[in-house]
Amino acid sequence: MNATAEAGVHIFGVRHLSPGGAKHLLEYLNELQPTAVLIEGPSDATDEIRHLTHRSTQPPVAILAFTEDLPVRTALWPLAVYSPEYQGMKWARDNGAEAAFIDLPSSVILSLQDVMRREGTSGRGEVKPEADEAGEPSTEEAEQQESVYSRIARLAGEHDYDMYWERNYEHNANAGAYRAAILSFSAEMRLLSESREQLEQPKEHAYNTLREAYMRRQIRKTIAAGHAPDKIVVICGAYHASALADLSDVLADKELAGLPSRSTKLTLMPYSYYKLSTMSGYGAGNGAPHYFEMMWETMASGRPEELAHLYLSTVAGYLRSSGTHRSTAEVIEAVRLAESLAALHGGSAPTLRDLRDAAQTLLGHGDLSVIADALVRVDVGTAIGHLADGVSQTPIQDDLNRLLKRYKLEKYKSTVASELPLDLRENRRVSSEEAAYLDLHRSILFHRLKLLGITFAKNRPSGQDAATWAEYWIIQWSPEVEIQVVESTLLGETIEVAAAYMLREKLQACRSIAEASLLIRVACECGMTAQMEEASRVLQGLAVDSRDVVGIAAAARELATIIGFGDIRKVDTVPLTPLLEELFRRGCLFLPDASGCNDEAAGQMIVAMNELNAISLDHSETVDEALWLQELLHLSERDDRNPRLSGFACAILMERGAVSAEEVASEVSRRLSPGIPADLGAGWFEGLSMRNRYGLLSRMSLWEQLNDYINALEDDEFKRALVFLRRAFSTFSPREKTMISELLGELWGVDSEQAAEILTGELKEDEAKMLDDLNDFDFGDL
Amino acid sequence: MKSDLFKGEMSMSTEQEQLKDYMRLPAEVLYQEELEALRKEDKGNIPAGWQMSPRAVLTFIAGGKAGKKVITPKYIGNTRLIEMAVATLVTDRALLLIGEPGTAKSWLSENLAAAIYGNSGLVVQGTAGTSEEHVRYSWNYAMLLANGPTPEALVKSPIMRAMEDGGIARFEEISRCASEVQDALISILSEKTISVPELGKEAGARKGFSIIATANTRDRGVNEMSAALKRRFNIIVLPAPTDIETELSIVKKRVAEIASSYNLGAAVPADEALLKVVTIFRELRSGMTLDKKEKVKTPAGVISTAEAISLLTNSMALAASFGDGELTDRDLAAGLQGAVVKDDDKDKLVWKEYLDNVMKKKGAEWRGLYQACKEMNE
Repeated sequence: MNATAEAGVHIFGVRHLSPGGAKHLLEYLNELQPTAVLIEGPSDATDEIRHLTHRSTQPPVAILAFTEDLPVRTALWPLAVYSPEYQGMKWARDNGAEAAFIDLPSSVILSLQDVMRREGTSGRGEVKPEADEAGEPSTEEAEQQESVYSRIARLAGEHDYDMYWERNYEHNANAGAYRAAILSFSAEMRLLSESREQLEQPKEHAYNTLREAYMRRQIRKTIAAGHAPDKIVVICGAYHASALADLSDVLADKELAGLPSRSTKLTLMPYSYYKLSTMSGYGAGNGAPHYFEMMWETMASGRPEELAHLYLSTVAGYLRSSGTHRSTAEVIEAVRLAESLAALHGGSAPTLRDLRDAAQTLLGHGDLSVIADALVRVDVGTAIGHLADGVSQTPIQDDLNRLLKRYKLEKYKSTVASELPLDLRENRRVSSEEAAYLDLHRSILFHRLKLLGITFAKNRPSGQDAATWAEYWIIQWSPEVEIQVVESTLLGETIEVAAAYMLREKLQACRSIAEASLLIRVACECGMTAQMEEASRVLQGLAVDSRDVVGIAAAARELATIIGFGDIRKVDTVPLTPLLEELFRRGCLFLPDASGCNDEAAGQMIVAMNELNAISLDHSETVDEALWLQELLHLSERDDRNPRLSGFACAILMERGAVSAEEVASEVSRRLSPGIPADLGAGWFEGLSMRNRYGLLSRMSLWEQLNDYINALEDDEFKRALVFLRRAFSTFSPREKTMISELLGELWGVDSEQAAEILTGELKEDEAKMLDDLNDFDFGDL
Repeated sequence: MKSDLFKGEMSMSTEQEQLKDYMRLPAEVLYQEELEALRKEDKGNIPAGWQMSPRAVLTFIAGGKAGKKVITPKYIGNTRLIEMAVATLVTDRALLLIGEPGTAKSWLSENLAAAIYGNSGLVVQGTAGTSEEHVRYSWNYAMLLANGPTPEALVKSPIMRAMEDGGIARFEEISRCASEVQDALISILSEKTISVPELGKEAGARKGFSIIATANTRDRGVNEMSAALKRRFNIIVLPAPTDIETELSIVKKRVAEIASSYNLGAAVPADEALLKVVTIFRELRSGMTLDKKEKVKTPAGVISTAEAISLLTNSMALAASFGDGELTDRDLAAGLQGAVVKDDDKDKLVWKEYLDNVMKKKGAEWRGLYQACKEMNE
């Protein structure tokens, strides 16, 4: 130990999100009255401390550091109201002490993590997670030490390390015990693992050594600036606590200059408990932020023993408000059970696990699912942080604000949801072009935000499907939106750049035709022509390898819509036309092949045929209509394809006048001749009847042929055919059925009304019996 | 009364002699040595009416050490559930154990009662025929007619006796009883007294009194427990073993115990046979193969761990009585057939499907068992 250490800089090791730590820290600070509070955190963020401790700042908030150029790397330091670091800063503000961050600047941290990531991949085949919490042994390391931590828990008779920690540290009310325990815990832990770490994870080890050397350097600098060493308190992660006491080995100027560095930016951002709870890794997040906030509040008000009452009655409160009644007596019993569980472990107060188990037993009556929702609300909570206006300023936030102003949307930036109908057409009553297309620009902005996952504006389907010029948006600003916007900074400096980046990423990941055609539409809606062309190249590439008519038809339909209505969005759709042609051609050419399918697949094929037919009508000047009709004819004539599809092809041809009445008649008689198996004949008729019913109903000759066919069938064959015919006619409306009965009446020479009566009337007894017999009939493998 | 039988003043050897004749010994007799060791080594606070401290109870059930004596685990798996059960009884709340058939509810309740009260014999067995008298008290009618209501003519229920003694009564299969019988418990659990108006007196509960009830999830809806009654219990759901290792160790331990107490004479099945049976049971129970790649149809019957244990002991009995004492695939197949296909023709199809779709593909070690099962299921 050298002189500086003997003079005694006070080290206070903490777990980063620890209410107990915050409480003990405050007591310690009050007792010691230091003039400087040094905190583990990026030293270039020291200026942000005044914003963090600003009176209108409400945690949870986070410091976000990101590199300015690609590839973007980020680091995040979240702070909750019960973070010891946060409470330390506030204490410094209230007591006129200086507060500063002392860890490596973010520029070095991010580039070092970059280096470690790159070498890590080649060396150990492991990639560190992005946005790694700077300031703690990393996740990787925590995993390595997993066994040590769970062994500690087991020795203490606890079920997991969190339980052990809460019982032994958070609940430890003895003054000074927390700090002393962590110091010795840290020293022992390092003794245990350091040498192994040096061997197994040399880079991790070097990184930590470097950081600690820098922190010592900063501490020395503070001393040199005139603070008495014993009036300095250093708040750092438990792991580093024992390494900062001895200040002899500091990072030299030359060494510091030699460190890699990337230019970075820092910003504060509002954070949410939800995000805090989903972050993994020791210390970076914690699973139950709201619970710990409750713990902090009960501690701050001097009644920590009330935490169990508060927790369980809050759970019961949520249960009651969602309609599950639980009595106060049950809450009391739950508190008793939780306390008795704690006593079983020799603890002074129930841990979260004890409380949850007690809640499940008493409030859930043994069933977790009853209380799961309430538990999540109480454990995680919905709190979202708030920063003073103008504190969180990333380029993309500026850009968004500028755009909102330009498109006169500022008044919608409120937490009350409002509805905004847009008319994308040109407004001819205004003079400037900007004003004329105001709504279009707004729509483009909203679509870009949607693409970026920013939930500021939500699209509501309009009442009129056909009105492509109308859009309805629900607009609502929320702190979550703020977080989403800040996070989009990582994708680009402006909304447009970020959206383009996002779209490109999606295109690279795109593996199906449907996805690609959807992305073309997104690009069109976002008004991004360049990306639209890129997307169409991707679609084209995928389509070349595809023989899936259903997928191709759907994509072609999507394209056709974009081409048809693209000009309303002022998007040049001309480059898409060749692609549409190509898709359409492929759809046509593969049609006969794809039609050799079973009845189940035929349903989708019929949708595809409808779409292709619609395209051939709408875009007859671009697509090869003749080819379509030719392939349809081909399909219609073939006997080895799915009969329903052949029939359907015939129906389309008939509707479009591509075949004459005589040709249809001869086809009908061919298909419905007695030699053809009933399932084929009737199936074909089913397909034929799926389009243009009035066309069918108006052709008397067709019904004659059907009648003759049915008459010619053997009994067993008839029963088979019945299944298909029944299915074919089941979709006919009562009016159409009446028309058929009239036709048949004419054929059979009976009164049309009589025929209708027979066909639509109630079943007679013997007829019902015949139907019953039919149920027993063996239809084979139909 | 059951355990009183074993507490006579016979000489050690006749006592031992007699014990051998009983098919099944209550937990406090079976694990007498362990309980004594625990009591001797106990340093914790002993709640009023208890035989040992809560921690010692926990050790007795979850296993561990008392001094030098090794305490075998009685309930393998989730120690936390045992903690919650013990903590419940410390707060003198009644405990309700719920679970699928064969999840060791009664086993746990018996061992808890044995450890805490030293007597697991105060049992009310719930059936459709259980009446309120079984829960409260009834009369010796000869004496009642001769002398009128006297304390001597009173026949106390196990619950009433537990109350007077400050002990633990067990109520098995509580959801099988009619609702009015269940509801007789409500006043007992909240007032902690049973009043006997005929004698003009009340029987109050001494400290330590509690009830451990068990109920079956498959019985849900037969006699749904009233909300008022549920409120008076701490309810703990016992799950099926969460992973195959836990289930394997449960099966292994119990099969060995049963085999020795019944002198089955067959060798304890090899680990491989245990693994096969447990694998089949887990796959059929969860409706999915262990590697989660394939869906499996589940049979209508219960496929519990207890079932696997009885299947294996059954197969051992078969092997010992009709074979050469070695457990063969045929013996296992006969047991499996009986366990999976209970009463329904559909189960037979489920079993056939499982054999052909899953077991057949499991590789060479399974070949013999597959053939045997296939023949059996024809």
